[in-house]
Amino acid sequence: MNNNRLSSGWLKKAPVVAVVGATLILLSACSASTSPKATTSTKPLVIGISLSLTGDFADPGTAVKKGYELWAEQVNAKGGVLGRQVSLKIVDDLSTPTQVVTNYQNLISRDKVDLVFGPFSSLLTVPASQVANRYKYAFIESAGGGPRVFAQKLGNLFFIQPGPVVKQGDVFADYILGLPAADRPKTAAYPSLDDPFAQPIAANIQTRFEAAGIKTVYSGTYPAETPDLTPIMTKAIAKKPDVIVSGTQSLDAYQQVKALIQLHYNPKWLYMSNGANSPTEFPSKVGIKNVEGVFSSGDWFPSSTATGSADFIKAYIAKYGGDATKIDNSSVEAYAAGQLVELIAAKTGKIDNATIITTLHSGKWDTILGPLSWDSSGAPQGSYLLVQWLQGALKPVYPASVAQASPLAAKPNWGG
Amino acid sequence: MHTLIQGLILGVLTGGVYALMASGQTLIFGVMKVVNLAQGAFVIASAYLAFTLFTQFGIDPLVAVLITTPLMFGIGVVGHWVFLRPLRREDASELSLLVTFALALLIEGILSVSYHTTYRSINTSYSNHSFEVGGYVVSAVRLYGFIVSCALLILLYIILQKTSFGRAIRATVQNPQSATLLGVDSTRVKAYGFGLGISTAAASGSIFGLLFPFNSGSHYDLISRLLSVVVLGGLGSIGGAVLAGVIIGVVSSVAAVIWSPTWSEMTFFIVLLLVLLIRPQGMFGRVERGAL
Repeated sequence: MNNNRLSSGWLKKAPVVAVVGATLILLSACSASTSPKATTSTKPLVIGISLSLTGDFADPGTAVKKGYELWAEQVNAKGGVLGRQVSLKIVDDLSTPTQVVTNYQNLISRDKVDLVFGPFSSLLTVPASQVANRYKYAFIESAGGGPRVFAQKLGNLFFIQPGPVVKQGDVFADYILGLPAADRPKTAAYPSLDDPFAQPIAANIQTRFEAAGIKTVYSGTYPAETPDLTPIMTKAIAKKPDVIVSGTQSLDAYQQVKALIQLHYNPKWLYMSNGANSPTEFPSKVGIKNVEGVFSSGDWFPSSTATGSADFIKAYIAKYGGDATKIDNSSVEAYAAGQLVELIAAKTGKIDNATIITTLHSGKWDTILGPLSWDSSGAPQGSYLLVQWLQGALKPVYPASVAQASPLAAKPNWGG
Repeated sequence: MHTLIQGLILGVLTGGVYALMASGQTLIFGVMKVVNLAQGAFVIASAYLAFTLFTQFGIDPLVAVLITTPLMFGIGVVGHWVFLRPLRREDASELSLLVTFALALLIEGILSVSYHTTYRSINTSYSNHSFEVGGYVVSAVRLYGFIVSCALLILLYIILQKTSFGRAIRATVQNPQSATLLGVDSTRVKAYGFGLGISTAAASGSIFGLLFPFNSGSHYDLISRLLSVVVLGGLGSIGGAVLAGVIIGVVSSVAAVIWSPTWSEMTFFIVLLLVLLIRPQGMFGRVERGAL
């Protein structure tokens, strides 16, 4: 009954609707034909991002947010990307893989954002990048560099760091194996966290050291939940290794150092994949007197001379306060993701997903992290920097092209 | 052999701290028949308190115990009054599992908001010190922690054995009905018993914060260890908890030194399974249960 009444009403109004509709179509066609550029250039460039603002990754997620927001603010102050103001649409994924999928689906299909940037962690990047790939969106991401990310072989993904995370320690192996044979370590221990971002780094170095004749006296992994590393380090140093190569994240790195100090053991070389590369956390957790001579690796440091680094530091401090040593690398990497968008726009005069995907697969791109390039799976093709704590500061020491100091060959004693 | 003995020393010292943590847990079970799933969260909350007192006021975490212990006792008594006292039904023991778990989540939430999720550690001037005795290294923090744990366990023993409050607790543990008939105010005893159990978390928290990095979520791992220690020792037995605490410390440390850290946790659970198969009531469950 209702349906009939409704349809009869519509029939009566049909001529009026047709006239109004035709008028609107004509008006819109006229306006479109007269000023196409004005319409597109004033439309903001909306970039959708799902970030871990709560949950386990809340702290690093917030650091990533700072990097994205700083870039957006700076680029908007310069007039935007191709005249379009950048608008970031950031949503919280609670650090969970299910929410991150929902978020990107909503951002792309409901909110129809122009571009997307990646979330924090490989755990969330893997499912998120699949959603982006399904909708043919480019997936520029600064915080998902685990092997599983590249094993997907997605053509739309670009990891914004110098190399895959597991290759991070190769630069230490290059340095040691570049020493004259007589000066190299004879024995090595490899205590590592059972983690896809820690253990493979030490394992890569171990393979190269063993091939070069450096004898392994200890190699072992410990679970992430191990509260006490002193028993493990007791075993690792039992045969007095010359070099300790630790596949660490952060907490376990501090725990390893504390255990070594308490066990009164000082190796000639100590390399820690992560943890020791934090300019503030490492000295605060193990004591500034105990950092001297410890090696690590990373992609950016406050003393970096890479493109835009000095300006970035100035802008970061102006916006967020603190000093350069307090800047989290996650913020820098996120900022570099934004830099890439600017570079692509400048090079091609366009900014859309197809252009980004095609353009980034060729050439080198000069960012705050140094020159970046990718293979077909999105894995970066560069190498990390080897850094060492020297006179209380973290300095790039290898390769020579970017070194700001010479590597210290024998680590000074703890507390010295 | 040297490595093994070194592992043994480490294990005994760490075990002493677990013993203190578990003694509070088992005391609460003995008095109230409540498996307190929030004990780990109270330990972590105490570690944060010690962290704040140290970083803001320069108070040494081991001295801070004098402040945090009465504070945690008060929080325990109030916590009992607010969350556990209303559970008067017959299934109060089962419901208390949910209530204490909710309490643990509440504490975790408050800590996450107040301190964020970044790991913290308490680094005192003696954090990295160690003594060398006969070629073996003894960490200063572990030694001090062990001494404080032993002192507090002795104090707990004296409170339970030599004071009228302790007698009231023991009477309530042995036979709540008879104790009430003899004039023991069981509601008050339960509240104070819960407070006493929680107060052991204060010192444990200080020592835990000195030994290991922690964040608001650290209590999950901790509570699984504490429950294992309590079950191994026998629910309700403080003596059992002390011995089991030392066993967990030694087994995990020695297994890590001899075999692998991956085996360390597993070996402990194998010991736990064996004890439960042979003596399901735990090591001291039948003998000392109800006889604190």
